[in-house]
Amino acid sequence: MCRRAEYAADMSFPEPASPPDDAALAQRVGQAVPATDPEAEAELCRRLAPRVRLYGLRHLGNEAAAADLMQQVMLLMIERLRAGALREPERLASFVFGICRMVVLDLRRGHARRERLLETYGEALLPPEAPPPNPDHKRLAHCLEALPERERTVLLLTFYDDMPAETLARELDLSPANVRVIRHRGLARLRGCVTGESR
Amino acid sequence: MNVPSCHSPLAWDTLLEYWLGELEPEAEARTEEHYLGCAGCSGRLEQLAALAREVRAVARTSGVNMVINDQFVRRLAESGLQVREYRLPLNGSVNCTVAPEDDVVVARLEAPLEGVKRVDMLYVDSDGRPQMRQEDIPFVADSGGVVFSPGIDALRALPATTLRVRLLAVEDNGERTLGEYRFNHTPSPS
Repeated sequence: MCRRAEYAADMSFPEPASPPDDAALAQRVGQAVPATDPEAEAELCRRLAPRVRLYGLRHLGNEAAAADLMQQVMLLMIERLRAGALREPERLASFVFGICRMVVLDLRRGHARRERLLETYGEALLPPEAPPPNPDHKRLAHCLEALPERERTVLLLTFYDDMPAETLARELDLSPANVRVIRHRGLARLRGCVTGESR
Repeated sequence: MNVPSCHSPLAWDTLLEYWLGELEPEAEARTEEHYLGCAGCSGRLEQLAALAREVRAVARTSGVNMVINDQFVRRLAESGLQVREYRLPLNGSVNCTVAPEDDVVVARLEAPLEGVKRVDMLYVDSDGRPQMRQEDIPFVADSGGVVFSPGIDALRALPATTLRVRLLAVEDNGERTLGEYRFNHTPSPS
C-alpha cells in the first residue's frame, strides 16, 4: 500500500544502485493477487507520486490540483496493477502516462473518481501531498542578484508566469532564439550558484 | 531505497522547454513518458520546478534589484501585490518612500532610447560618486524608458537620502548620458 511518506529533501541526483526497478515492483504487485504486496506498492508509490505531481503541475497549473491528480493516479495504478491490467511490466511508464492523461481529462471535466477510490482503499493509500522543499530563499536571491542583468530579467519574467520564449521575446523586443540563449546561460549560472558547483 | 539512474537523460533545455509548454505535442508526450519512468530526469525536472517556484517567490517579495517592463508591473499588480510606482520624466526628480504595506516599488525612467544599442544604469551617491553599475540592461527602444525595481529590503533600510541614477548609452566610440534622475528618499514614518 502507498503510505504517507516524506519526499527526499535534497536537490541532488539519486545515487546509482541496484534495487528492483519500477517494472519489477509493478510485476510483484500484479503477481501478489489475491493477496497484496504492501512493500512493493508502497515503494512504487514513493517513486512515482512525485513524478505524477510534476505532470499535474505542468498540466493543471497549481499544487492542489496536482496533489489531487497524484492521489487519483496512484490509487488507479495500484487498483489496475492488482487487477493484472499491465501485461508488460517494462511498459509501466506508458501505463502510468495513460492514467495521467485520463485523470487530467476527468479533472478538467469536473468528474471525480477520488471519492470512490478513497471509499475503496481508504486514507492509507494516499501518497504524500507536501511538495518537496524549495532551495534556500536567501541563497537563490543572492544568486539571482549575481546574474548579468539580461539573464536576471529573462529568468524572472520567464518563471514568474512560466512564460514561453516567443511571448517573452515580444515583450523584450528580442528574437525568441536570443531569449533561449540568454535563458540557457542564466539557468546554467543560477543552478551552478545554487548548488555551489560554480564556485 | 535507491532507484536506477537514467541512461539517456533529458537535456536541461528540453526539460525547461517542456515546463514552459514550448514543445510540440509529440515531443511533449515523449518527454512525459520518459520522466514518468525515470527517477533521474524527474528529479531534475523537480529541481527546475523548485527553482521556478522560488524565482517567482523572490519576484513577489521584491527580493532583488530587477530591470523589468510595464507588462510585468501590471502582472504584479493584477496578482494582488501592492505596487508603489514612480514615473520620472527625462532628467526628473521625485520625492519617494516605501510604505509598510508596499510589496514592490517600481520606477519608470523616461529616456530617448531610439537607436540605442546598449544601456548601462549607474547609481551615484549624493556626492556624485558612482556606487554601482548595472551593465547592458534590457530595454525596448520604442518604449521611451526603462523600468526598474530595487530590492525592497535595501530600500526599507535606507535613511533619508538623495540617490541619483544615470542612464548611459554605450556606443562604439564611448558612452553618453541619456538621462539623470534624482530620488529624494524619505523613510516611512512607521
